[in-house]
Amino acid sequence: MILFDFEYEPARSLPEASALLSRLGEGARAMGGGTDLLPKMRIAITRPTAIVGLSGIEPEPPSVTAEGGLRIDGLTTLAALARAPLVTTNLPMLAESARVVGSDQVREMGTLAGNLCQDTRCLELNQKHDYQFKAKCFKRGGECCYPFPNNRPGRCWSVYMSDIAPALIALNAEIETVHAAGGRRLAVAEMFSGQGIDPISLEPAELISAVITPPLPANFGWGYHKSSRRGGFEYAIAVIAVTLTLDASRQACTDARIVIGAIREKPVRVHEAERVLVGQTIDDALFAETVNAAVGEARPLRHHGFSRSYLIDNLRIYLRRVLIRAVERARGHASTT
Amino acid sequence: MLEARSAQAQSPAAVRSRIIELTVNGERHEILVKPRNTIVEVLREKIGLMGTKHGCEQGACGVCTVLLDGRAVLGCLTLAVECDGKSVRTVEGLAQGGQLSPIQQAFLDQGAVQCGYCTAGMLMSATALLERNPKPSIAEIKKALEGNICRCTGYNAIVAAIQQASGQGVEPVMR
Ligand SMILES: Cc1cc2nc3c(=O)[nH]c(=O)nc-3n(C[C@H](O)[C@H](O)[C@H](O)COP(=O)(O)OP(=O)(O)OC[C@H]3O[C@@H](n4cnc5c(N)ncnc54)[C@H](O)[C@@H]3O)c2cc1C
Ligand code: SF4
Ligand code: FES
Ligand code: FES
Repeated sequence: MILFDFEYEPARSLPEASALLSRLGEGARAMGGGTDLLPKMRIAITRPTAIVGLSGIEPEPPSVTAEGGLRIDGLTTLAALARAPLVTTNLPMLAESARVVGSDQVREMGTLAGNLCQDTRCLELNQKHDYQFKAKCFKRGGECCYPFPNNRPGRCWSVYMSDIAPALIALNAEIETVHAAGGRRLAVAEMFSGQGIDPISLEPAELISAVITPPLPANFGWGYHKSSRRGGFEYAIAVIAVTLTLDASRQACTDARIVIGAIREKPVRVHEAERVLVGQTIDDALFAETVNAAVGEARPLRHHGFSRSYLIDNLRIYLRRVLIRAVERARGHASTT
Repeated sequence: MLEARSAQAQSPAAVRSRIIELTVNGERHEILVKPRNTIVEVLREKIGLMGTKHGCEQGACGVCTVLLDGRAVLGCLTLAVECDGKSVRTVEGLAQGGQLSPIQQAFLDQGAVQCGYCTAGMLMSATALLERNPKPSIAEIKKALEGNICRCTGYNAIVAAIQQASGQGVEPVMR
């Protein structure tokens, strides 16, 4: 049961939804599938005064852009994303990252835009039983932080858990937004504030209409891995997404993007590690050096019972495997699906 | 109730109720709901169908699974106002003319029901799976049921029941 009342306004288009949000004011929230918003409302850590429902708007099917990339409607459900033939053939990495989110039911309900705009999570915050008997933490407007008691006021180290955002950043994807002041296009990597308290830096009433990916170069390879406790139906321990391009001889790496998710307030791109990899001939020693650089750079926050050193060990093991898989795919040794 | 009192204090303004039109297991209903009512609350408290359960209310257990226009969704995270004009199937709609559906019968035959709390959700997820994929592999069955938690059976009997119901050579063990 949701213990407080709110208004509900269905929107017939995204511009209309944006206008409704502006009119309804600060307390209004957009809702796609509601799978991130409603659990928070049930434990009253978020109390919107009004919900603008997007579920009545039919998403466009994925299409190929003039540049040869893909355009995917933001309201596409994760189930549709994971099944769409255009996505599974052209961007298997994106389909894979949608397939590992939550459960069948969550994927049937949850949308791509909602996944990207999901709130950061923390074991103290997203729990049902004790919250109402505890003083509010910084994220809820209070004056303490439970897991990090020495944090200065206003610093919240809750973690951004999207499985899809790291894949999209590795693919160098952009979002397209709708807003009364005119929409814009920006890199997925640019939509995060890096602050646990308010992690998404879109404007109020700015909505994501589509995700656009660029065309993929020749000798392109990808690797993706989500670690989770049960191997299914769980938020991540850590997510690793890698894309890379090899030269014509397929011996040296000419471009790489390495993104680690679910370890900080936003997905972390490890630029140092990418620099180690790019321009070099691929061998075991290079993988080891790349992994070392990533581990030095990623600075994971302990979260959901996973210590910092556990997360670093996780990264050491899986980043190496993901890099190897990406190179195999770039060499055409593994099927791309 | 402490929580309810503080909730009322914070939102005293009366929010308009509205009438939604809902088809439940083939039967049309017009129901007065508030935006905060979920579809499980409506099914249980307004229509009187108690088969669909309330569990975690956080999307994390699957006992509230119903089919909304054929798709398995979480009833605890579905607002009833969003179901206006839609069709819902619940566990009560599976048996036809007093005859259990093949998947219900297979759950009995395999001993896939113990306390039974997860069963309605399991049956609805399994029904959605078999309508989409009539002969799922064991891996596909496990993936489709990953959102349904069972604390009793250890899952093997449930997987076997779905294999039995889909005619994949698994014989009943409880007769
Ligand atoms: C049990 C469970 C398990 C989960 N597991 C995972 C997991 O493993 N990995 C993972 O990544 N996520 C997980 N999630 C989180 C989340 O539910 C999904 O990521 C889902 O995709 C969110 O989409 P939604 O449409 O339901 O979001 P909503 O709840 O509708 O919205 C989430 C946020 O995005 C905003 N929003 C919605 N649509 C738009 C839009 N078009 N433009 C701008 N802002 C918008 C909303 O205002 C809200 O703030 C899980 C959720 C549950 C309940
Ligand atoms: S990390 Fe953030 S959400 Fe968690 S207790 Fe501290 S302030 Fe609250
Ligand atoms: S009650 Fe809906 S998932 Fe647990
Ligand atoms: S039979 Fe008891 S929870 Fe599944």
